[in-house]
Amino acid sequence: MRARRLVWIRRISQTFFLGWFLFLLVESRLPEDAYLQYSLVFSSDSDLRLSQPVTFFFQLDPLIWLSSLLSGQRLIDGFWWALGLILVTLFLGRIFCGFICPLGTIHHMVSWTKPSLKGDRMIKANQRTPGHRIKYFLLLMLLVGAVMGLNLAGFIDPISLLFRSLALAILPAIGTGLKELFDVMAATDIKVLNYMSYAGEALVSPVFGYGYPAYKTAWFIGLIFLIILFLNRIRPRFWCRILCPLGALLGIFSKFTILRLEKDQATCTDCKLCSRTCQGAASPMPGQTWENAECLLCFNCFDACPEGALSFRFRWSPKSSTWPDMGRRAVLGGLVGGISLPLLSNLDAGAHHVSDPRLIRPPGALPEKDFLQLCQRCGLCMKACPTNAINPTLAEAGMAGFWTPHLIMTQGYCEYTCTLCSSVCPTGAIMEISAKEKIERPIIIGVAYVDRGRCLPWSGNGPCIVCQELCPTSPKAIYLRKEVVPGPDHSPMVGNVPFVDLKRCVGCGICENKCPVKGRPAIRVIAAGETRSLKNQILLTVPSP
Amino acid sequence: MELNHPLTRRQSLKKIAQISASLAGTALGLCPLLSQDSARASTAGKGFIVEGIGSKEDYKIKDLTGKVFEAAGGMGQFVSRGDVVVIKPNISWARRPELAATTNPEALEAVIELCLDAGAKKVRIADNTIHDARRCFALTGVGMVAKRTGADLVFPRSSLMKEMKLHGHRLDIWPVFVPLKEADKLINLPVAKVHGLSTLTLGMKNWIGGVDGRRSALHQDIHQSIVDLAQFFNPTLTLIDATRIMITNGPSGGSPSDVAVKNTLILSNDQVAADAKAAGLFGHDPGEIGFIGLGQKWGLGTYDSQKLIQQRVIL
Repeated sequence: MRARRLVWIRRISQTFFLGWFLFLLVESRLPEDAYLQYSLVFSSDSDLRLSQPVTFFFQLDPLIWLSSLLSGQRLIDGFWWALGLILVTLFLGRIFCGFICPLGTIHHMVSWTKPSLKGDRMIKANQRTPGHRIKYFLLLMLLVGAVMGLNLAGFIDPISLLFRSLALAILPAIGTGLKELFDVMAATDIKVLNYMSYAGEALVSPVFGYGYPAYKTAWFIGLIFLIILFLNRIRPRFWCRILCPLGALLGIFSKFTILRLEKDQATCTDCKLCSRTCQGAASPMPGQTWENAECLLCFNCFDACPEGALSFRFRWSPKSSTWPDMGRRAVLGGLVGGISLPLLSNLDAGAHHVSDPRLIRPPGALPEKDFLQLCQRCGLCMKACPTNAINPTLAEAGMAGFWTPHLIMTQGYCEYTCTLCSSVCPTGAIMEISAKEKIERPIIIGVAYVDRGRCLPWSGNGPCIVCQELCPTSPKAIYLRKEVVPGPDHSPMVGNVPFVDLKRCVGCGICENKCPVKGRPAIRVIAAGETRSLKNQILLTVPSP
Repeated sequence: MELNHPLTRRQSLKKIAQISASLAGTALGLCPLLSQDSARASTAGKGFIVEGIGSKEDYKIKDLTGKVFEAAGGMGQFVSRGDVVVIKPNISWARRPELAATTNPEALEAVIELCLDAGAKKVRIADNTIHDARRCFALTGVGMVAKRTGADLVFPRSSLMKEMKLHGHRLDIWPVFVPLKEADKLINLPVAKVHGLSTLTLGMKNWIGGVDGRRSALHQDIHQSIVDLAQFFNPTLTLIDATRIMITNGPSGGSPSDVAVKNTLILSNDQVAADAKAAGLFGHDPGEIGFIGLGQKWGLGTYDSQKLIQQRVIL
C-alpha cells in the first residue's frame, strides 16, 4: 500500500477513536431529557442506566485486564476486547498506540502542532535514549505490585489517566468558567443576554456538566495532565516513549510482529527525514536496527522517505525480532518497587485497623481490600454520579486508595433509588446493584448521627425538621419526638427534635446535604455500619444480605 | 420649624416640594398594593371549588380531569388563545407515581391537553426539584408526558433562578424560578401528602418548589413562608391531585403502604379553599393547619366553603 494512504488511514482512525472516546466520556452522565416509557413509569422501581457503552475503552485496555486479574483475580466484563487487542499486537505490533489510543492521539496532535524542536535538534531528540526503559520499570512495578495485591495501574494507565483528567478536571474547569460567564449574563436586566445565557447553558451543560461540578483534588489531576502535555515540547510523544506502561506492555507483545519495517541501505541518501518524523524514536534509519517494541506504527518514516528506501511489509522473521531493551536496572528497580510499595501501603491505618469515618464508598463497592485491588481510579463513577457526591479521595483511604471514589455529603448525596455508579464501573470494584437492594437494606453505605450542639431544635434555636422531611426510607430512619430542650435564657422549651434509627438508616446523606447548618452540618454520615465491612458494624445484629 | 413663624418664599417652595414628593412616593408605593388587592377581590368574588370523584372501578383520570374543568366552565374560561401556560407539578422526588410522592402524570397530561385545546401557545412544566432533576423527570413520568404532549419541561438551571422582591410578611428578597413568573397563566398541580412540620403539603406549600436559595431555612417559619410564596405566585388555578394521597411518612414516602387511594381531584381558583378541601381528605379541620389559617388571615382566599360556588362531579 502507498505510504501516503497509510498515513491518512492512520489519521482517520485516530480521529475516529479520539472522537468516540470523547463522545463516550461526555455520555457518561444522565442526559437532561432522561425519561422512561409510560409502562416502565408505572412498573416497580426501574434503574436508570446510560445508553452508551461507556466502559468500552477500559475493556479494550490490556493493562486494566491484566492488573485486575493479577491483583483481584478477577476477569473483568468485556475483557475479550483486551485479549483481542493483544492478539492483534502479536501480529501487527503497537498498532493500538499509533491508530487507537486517544491519549496517544492527543500527544501526537500536541507534538505535531508547532513542534518546539527544529531540524537537527529534532533528529537528535528522536534518537533512542536509556530513558525509554522507564516505562518498563513502571510496568514491572505495577505488575509485581499487582501480584502483591496493590493495584496502582490506574494512576498511569493511559485510558484511566485520560478519562480522569478530562472528566474530573478539564471539562469541569471549562464548564464552570463558561457557567460563570452565563451567570453574569443572566444577572443583567438585558433580555437578549438573558436568552443567550439560557441557550448557552442549555448547550454547554450536557457536555461540561450540570451546575457547578466540583471534584476534590481535581486541580492536581488537571495540573498533572497539563504537565504531561507539556512534555511533548521536550520530545514528541514523550509520554508514549518514556512513561506509558501500556505502551511497554504492548511493546513486549510486539516481539513477533510480522508487520516489519524493511530498509534498503543502497537507495538511502542519509537525509534523515525518517528520523525527523519518527514518533516513537524507533530507529527507522537504514544503518540502525529498527526497534519493533518502540515503533508506534505511525508510518511517518515510510511516508517521509523521498527515495523509497523504507517500506512496511508483512514478513515472518522471528530471528530479526528484538526483545524490548528493558535494561537490567529497570527490571530490578521494577521488582524492588513492586515489592516495597505494597508493604508500605500496609502502614495506612485503614488496612488493619479502623478505616476513616469519612471514607464512604459508593453503594455496591466491594469490601475495602477487594475494592482497592480492582479500582482503577478512572473517575467514571464520579462523572456519572448525578449529585456530584462521589469524589476522589485524598488521604481517607491511604496510599493504596489515593484518588479512589468516596462520597462527600456536603457536596452531593447518594440518591435513594439511584444505582448509576454501580452500573458503570469498568472493573467491578463497584458491583452492579439494583435500587431494590438499596431500599431493602442489604446495602448500606454508612449511618447518620445528630450533632445536638449544632442542631437548631436540639440547641433551642427554633424549629427545623429538614433532615426528617428528606429522609427517603419508609418508615423514616430520622424521626421526630417532642422533647424539652434548653431554650434561650435558660428557660426550658418543648421542641420537635430529630433522632436517627440505626436499624433503618442507609447512610444516603441527603440529611447532611440539605441541613441548614452549612459546612459542617448538624447531622452527618459516617462509614460505620456500612454493609461491605463486618468489622465496621455498630449493632450486634448485622443486617443480612 | 415653628408654625407661627412666617415662611420665606424659598422655605415655602422647599416645603411644597417635600410634601409633593412624599405624596408621590406614597402613591407609587400604594399603586401595586391597590392593584393587587383589586385583582384578588375580583377573583374572590367568583371563587369556586370543584371536587371530582372517580367512583367507578375503571374510571380514567384523564376523563375525571376533563369533567372537573368542564364543571368549572371549561379550560377556555381560564386560558386564552395564545397564552403561555406554566404548570407547576410537584415532582420533587425521584419516585414512581404509585408512591404518591409526586403529581400523577396522567392528570398532568390531561391538563396540558386541555390547555392546548383551549389555544395555549405554549405549555411549560416547571419545578425546582429536591432530588436530581433528571432523575425526577424520568422516574415520575413527567419526562414521558413532556415527550408525548410536546410541552416544554424546563430544567431548573441556576441561570433561571433570579432574585425577586416577594413583598411577603416574612420573606423579602428571594431567588425565584423565573419561568413560573414569566407566564400568562399559572396552574398549580400539587399532590396531597402529609408533612412532618406543616402537617400537610398541598397547593400552597407546592410553591416552595418555585424558589431556590436557602430553601431548607424556610422551615424555621414554615407557615408564613408558605403563605408569602403563595401570595407571590398567585396562580390562576390550583388542581390538587388526590387520586392517591400520602397518609404517613410524608412528604417522601417510599412504600405503597404509605398511600391511600382517594380518587379525588380538587380544582379551585382559590388557593386557600383548595387546600382546605384537601385537608378534609386527611380528616383535618382546615383552621387547625397553620398556613391555611394564615392564608385566610392575609386575604389569599377563604376556607369558608359557604362563600364559594361549590360543585361536585362523580364519574
